[in-house]
Amino acid sequence: MKKVSFSNGMKKFFTSWEFVLTMILLAEVIIFATKNPKFLMPRVLLGSLNDIMSICYISLFVTFVMVTGGIDIQAGSIVGLTSIVIGVAWQDGGMNIWTAALLAILISALCGAMSGYFVAYCGVQPMVVTLGGSFLFSGIALLVSNLSATESYKGISGFPDSFTQLTKIKLFDVLPLQVIIFLVLAIFANWLLTKTKYGREITLIGVNKQAAEYSGINAKGIEMSAYILSAVSASIAGIILTSYLNTAKSDIGATLTMPIITAVVLGGTLSTGGKGSVAGTALAAIIIGVLKFGLPLCFKVSQQYLDIPVGLVLLAVVITRSVFSNPQVIAKMHRKS
Amino acid sequence: MKNLKKFLHARESGSIIFLIILYAIVGIINPAFLAPESLMACLNDSVVFTLLAVGIAFVVLTGEIDVSIGAILGLSAAVGATMLRDGSPTIAAILVALVIGAVIGLINGLGVAYLNIPSLIFTLGINGVVRGLIYVYTNGAWVENLPAEYTLAAGNKLVGDLSVFYAVTIVVVLIFHWWTSKTRHGRFFTAVGDNIQGATLVGIPTKKTKVLAYVLCGLFAAAAGMIYTSRIGFITAVAGNGYEMKAIAACVIGGIALTGGQGSLLGAAIGAIIMSSISRILVFMGFSSDYDNSITGIMLIVIVVVTTVAQNRSIVQNRHDVLMARTLNAVKSDEKGGTR
Repeated sequence: MKKVSFSNGMKKFFTSWEFVLTMILLAEVIIFATKNPKFLMPRVLLGSLNDIMSICYISLFVTFVMVTGGIDIQAGSIVGLTSIVIGVAWQDGGMNIWTAALLAILISALCGAMSGYFVAYCGVQPMVVTLGGSFLFSGIALLVSNLSATESYKGISGFPDSFTQLTKIKLFDVLPLQVIIFLVLAIFANWLLTKTKYGREITLIGVNKQAAEYSGINAKGIEMSAYILSAVSASIAGIILTSYLNTAKSDIGATLTMPIITAVVLGGTLSTGGKGSVAGTALAAIIIGVLKFGLPLCFKVSQQYLDIPVGLVLLAVVITRSVFSNPQVIAKMHRKS
Repeated sequence: MKNLKKFLHARESGSIIFLIILYAIVGIINPAFLAPESLMACLNDSVVFTLLAVGIAFVVLTGEIDVSIGAILGLSAAVGATMLRDGSPTIAAILVALVIGAVIGLINGLGVAYLNIPSLIFTLGINGVVRGLIYVYTNGAWVENLPAEYTLAAGNKLVGDLSVFYAVTIVVVLIFHWWTSKTRHGRFFTAVGDNIQGATLVGIPTKKTKVLAYVLCGLFAAAAGMIYTSRIGFITAVAGNGYEMKAIAACVIGGIALTGGQGSLLGAAIGAIIMSSISRILVFMGFSSDYDNSITGIMLIVIVVVTTVAQNRSIVQNRHDVLMARTLNAVKSDEKGGTR
């Protein structure tokens, strides 16, 4: 009996989207490695992940929001808000750097709660609320940066060593702490979505919100909590980014929104809700990261052109998936075989 | 009287009234704001966003979204500006820009309508590709040294302080507004967005309508790009970055529902005026224009929350009324049955 379920499990894995993503990632690594063997050095490979860690962190939890059928485009502005709150609270407010970080997380959670409240309790479209949120929070971040004695375009720097060392710690001398945090967050998020009651409820809300409410689930509260989760993850990303760059700026996360959504969608989460995979998102985020790192290193593609391959990968994936989920195409394939 | 009632029920009138009240309040605080040249400057400055918002309004009316318009603006402006710099005739540059906009719009439309890919995702991918193409085309360098007659054209005035660009834009917008709200074919957009199954059943070519919406959106974005070129005078590789979000915000402020089927192009144009005059209003009220984004965000959230809550309440009220009417009827017929 156990053998059957094992082979079933294998079959399930080999036909799953995560398998396809793993293959894409492997292909990517092999191509890059044959072109430039330097690419495979652990220090280089793991170091390359530093630049995309904020995308990785946030997209894990934006997955939750998208599974409920919503969307979160305010995460990028929360990264900036976190960064500048830390900077101003530390430099101009005289706060301990860790208290400042905690304060930033609290503020971000409030931001997420506000958007989540409007989406869940008032029934407003998530896209519009978080669009408004992205304007509002980036605006607040700018105003906070004006409180500081430092000019806002310069950014606040010179943080204490204990804070900047955070992103320089390396386990076994190769594995940066940021990557460890990512792994921990990914495992936690995956467990939360697939193994807990909470994750089931999140999925049910995405499938059918009314049904979720009638079955006695606190659907509104849970839907709101997804937005809080993604805001807190954005805040964590903001802290890590501030520590990594040793600069606090209000517009630090302005360009993150699109890559985050790309990672989530590429990871196999339906934008209509009800189905999503944290493992897929994590793989997709790494695929994007490796692509962005490998192309310049191995094929001398300029950094600025990197939007094209990422966009093309996204398009190729969604087009193939749409073609293969088309009933007519499936029928044709079966007829041939 | 009937006309007045009709006006009050139209979705864009809310934003017109909002615009008037907003301007009146600012005018009371600082009368200089209501001077004709200042009001005209509000209109003239909104021209790029008006074109973007009205363009995306076609797509939003059909219930889809397009986040690639900022990139379309950037690419068409970069190509058009390079042609102008290298001495091509103005007409040729504008035509090429428009063709670029239309082609990208066509690709968007085909992907969304015929491949059934969620519009946010498809246009997001296109956005990445187009944004990258701008870098490939310009090599990351600025396009500058444009012919003076082209960059000065933005300052040309038609009557008083009304710029030629805005006058032309508003005429085009009014024509399209009339087309989409009064004619049979023009109303396909709203029909598709309101109820796509219903639209299919009554024989509306829903897929073609969506493709057309995207092509128009691309054309408007390209036109916005050429006007942007004239107004700014140089093009960077990040030109138009993030404009898509502002255009969507302008649509929402102008009373267009992102679920599709509700709102009008005129509403989008008014939303664009409100959006782009915020920073000017702040200056006249004595605030720093750093409040711009915060105010936009608050306004956006307040407007959608209020309209959604009001709408939900009226839906519940309607349901209640229908239920009450039914029960009353049932009671009446019971009474009749009893006497029989």
